[in-house]
Amino acid sequence: MLSFARGLLGAFAFFVSQAALADVKIGFQAPLTGLAATDGKSAKAAAEIAIDDLNAGGGVLGQKLELITYDDQAKSDQAIFTANKLIGDDDVKFAISGSYSAAGRAAAPIFQNAGVVFISAYGVHPDITKAGDYCFRLVRLGPPQGRAAAFFIAESLKLKKASVISMDNDYGEATLQGFLGDVDKYGIKVVNKYNYSLQDRQFGPIVAGVKRDEPEVIYATGYFFTAGPLVAQLRAGGVKAPIVGSQAFDSGKFIDIAGAAAEGVYIVDGFDRYRKDPKLEHFTAEFQKRAGYPPEGVAAEVYSSFDILVDAMKRAGSLEPAKVRDALAATKDFPMLNETLIGFNKLHEVIMPASVDVVKDGKFVHFSTIEDKKVLAPPEQ
Amino acid sequence: MFYVDLAVSGVVFGCMYALMAVGLTLVYGLLRILHIAHAAVFALGAYVTVLVANVSGSILLGFVAAIAVTPLCGIAIYRILYQPLLHYRPDVPMIASIGLLVFMQDGFRILFGEQGVTFVKNPLAIESVDVAGITLTFAQLAVLVVTLLIFVALHLFTTRTRIGVAWRATVSNPSMAASFGVDAIRVRYLNFGIGSALAGVAGGLIALLNNFVDPTIGYVVSYKALAIIVLGGLGSVRGTLVASLFLALVESYGTIFIGSYLNRDAIAFLALILVLMARPQGFTGVRTA
Repeated sequence: MLSFARGLLGAFAFFVSQAALADVKIGFQAPLTGLAATDGKSAKAAAEIAIDDLNAGGGVLGQKLELITYDDQAKSDQAIFTANKLIGDDDVKFAISGSYSAAGRAAAPIFQNAGVVFISAYGVHPDITKAGDYCFRLVRLGPPQGRAAAFFIAESLKLKKASVISMDNDYGEATLQGFLGDVDKYGIKVVNKYNYSLQDRQFGPIVAGVKRDEPEVIYATGYFFTAGPLVAQLRAGGVKAPIVGSQAFDSGKFIDIAGAAAEGVYIVDGFDRYRKDPKLEHFTAEFQKRAGYPPEGVAAEVYSSFDILVDAMKRAGSLEPAKVRDALAATKDFPMLNETLIGFNKLHEVIMPASVDVVKDGKFVHFSTIEDKKVLAPPEQ
Repeated sequence: MFYVDLAVSGVVFGCMYALMAVGLTLVYGLLRILHIAHAAVFALGAYVTVLVANVSGSILLGFVAAIAVTPLCGIAIYRILYQPLLHYRPDVPMIASIGLLVFMQDGFRILFGEQGVTFVKNPLAIESVDVAGITLTFAQLAVLVVTLLIFVALHLFTTRTRIGVAWRATVSNPSMAASFGVDAIRVRYLNFGIGSALAGVAGGLIALLNNFVDPTIGYVVSYKALAIIVLGGLGSVRGTLVASLFLALVESYGTIFIGSYLNRDAIAFLALILVLMARPQGFTGVRTA
C-alpha cells in the first residue's frame, strides 16, 4: 500500500515538474502571404534563428522557448484574429509583431488588454505604443526617421531644394510628416510632393514631375520593391540629383533591381550591416543560409526583438508579464544587431543613434551616424 | 516638355494595358466569360521571361519562351476550367477564374519566392535614348515598338488570312460561322492562345520596364484590365485599344495634378465611372437598353 502511494506521489511529482519545465511560448505575427510576403519571409527566418540561438544558449530561467507563428498578411483583420488566437488558444504571455504598421496597430490594443508584453519589431505607426504600457517598439518611429532625413540633407549634404516622393501607407505618411515638420527649421524648400501606393511599380508621371522640378535632392520613402523601380526610372529619365531614401529601401534586393542606378543613394536609418561584431556576423551567415539572401533591417529588428525580450525576462528573474514589462522598460545600453539601444522613453519608444548608409560599388556602406538627441527624440505621448 | 513626358509615359502605360486587355476582351467576345485568371497568365509570362533570360543570358530567348508557354497555359485554363462550366450562368466561370488567379498568385510565391525575381543583366531599363528631344529608356522604346508591331500583325492576320477571318466571324456570329464549316473548338483555342500570348508579351515587357517580378504583379492588372474592357465596350478590340490609351493618359496626367488627393487607381476608376455614366455601353459598344 505504502509503495503504491509512494509510486503515485512520484508520478505526481514527475508530472508537476514536467509542467513547470514547459516551454515559454512567444507569439509571432508576420505577413507570410500577401503583398508584404517579402518582409514576412525575412521576419520568419530571423525569428526562427533567434529562438534557436536563445535555446542553444540555455533558454530562459531553465526553460526552452517556443515560437508560435501566425500569418497576419499585414492586414488589420488578420492581425486581430491571430492576436486573439495567440491569447485564447495558445495562451501566450509574450508576443512580437514582425509585420507592418497597420497590422501591429490593430494587434497592440488586444495584447495590451490581455496583459501580454508586446513588441513591434519594425511597424512604425505611433498608435502601436499608445495602446498602453505593455506595448514596446524596437524600430524608430516614422516621424523621427523623417526628421533625421531632413537633418541629414541640411547638415551633411547641405542641400536646400527638395522633391519629396512618398508611399501612401502608414509608414510613408508618418515618415513624411516628420520630414515636412522640420524643413522650415533648416531652410529646406520642398518644391513638390508626390505619392504612390504599395503596388505601383511604374513611376513615369512622377519622374516627369521631378525632372521639371529640377531639385537639388530627392527624398523618397518606400520599400525595396517600389524603391528599386523608382530609382532606376529616375536615373533612366535623366534625373541626376542625389537621392535620399528611407529605412525600408535598405535591402540587397533594392540594389539588384536598380542596378547601377542605386549607386550613391543614401539611406537614412539604414542597417549598418558590415560592423565587426561576432553576433552580427553569426546572424548574417545563418540568415543567408536559411533564407538564401543577406539579411536586411527587417530581419535584424525581428531578431533583436526576441533577444531583448528574453534578456528582460532574465533581468526580471521571472516570467510574469508585468515584471518582464518593467525590466524591458528599464533596459539600458542593449546591443541590438543594428545599433546600441540607449533605452526606452516613457512611451516605450527607442532612444538610439541612427546610421546613414550609402550604396557604393553595389553594396551598402556605412556613411555617417546621427546622434543628435533632439532630432531623434521619440514622442513622449 | 513636361507635358510631353507625361504623354509619353501615358502612351507606354497604354500599350501595356492594351496588350493585357485585348486578350481579355477576346475571351469575353467569344465566350461571354470574364477571364480574370488572365492576370495569372500575364504574371506567368513575366516570370518565364526573367527566368529563361537569366538562365540563357538572352532576353530575347526569355520572350520567345514566354510566347511559347503562355498560350499553352491559356488553352489549358480554357479546357480545364471553362469548358466544363460553359452551360452555367456566366458568373460561375468568373468565380472559378478568380479562384484560379488567387491560387496561381500564391503558387508563384511558393515556386519562385516572396522576394521576386530580377534580370541578372537588364541594361534596357536603365539606359536611355533621345528621340526628338524626348528621353526614353530602351525598355520603353521596346514597349512602343513591340506593341505597334503586334497590333499591325494582328490586324493583318484577321483581315488577310483565312484562319484570321474565320476567327473574326466566329467571334461576331458563332452559329453562322459554324454553318460555314468553321470549327468552333479550334477557334476557341486560337482565341485563348493569341490572347494569352499577348498577355505573356505584356508580362515580359513589364518585367523589362520594372526589372522586377513579384508574385503580386497580376494584382492591379486583374481588375484594371476588366475596367478597360468595359470602358472600351465588351468584346470590341478597337474599343479596348482606345480605352487602354485613354485610361493610361488619364492616369498619367491625373496623378500629377490630383495625385495628392487620389491615388492612381482611384483616378482611373473615377474616370471609368464618369465615362460609363455618360455612355454605359463604353466607347464602341452598342447600347442594348
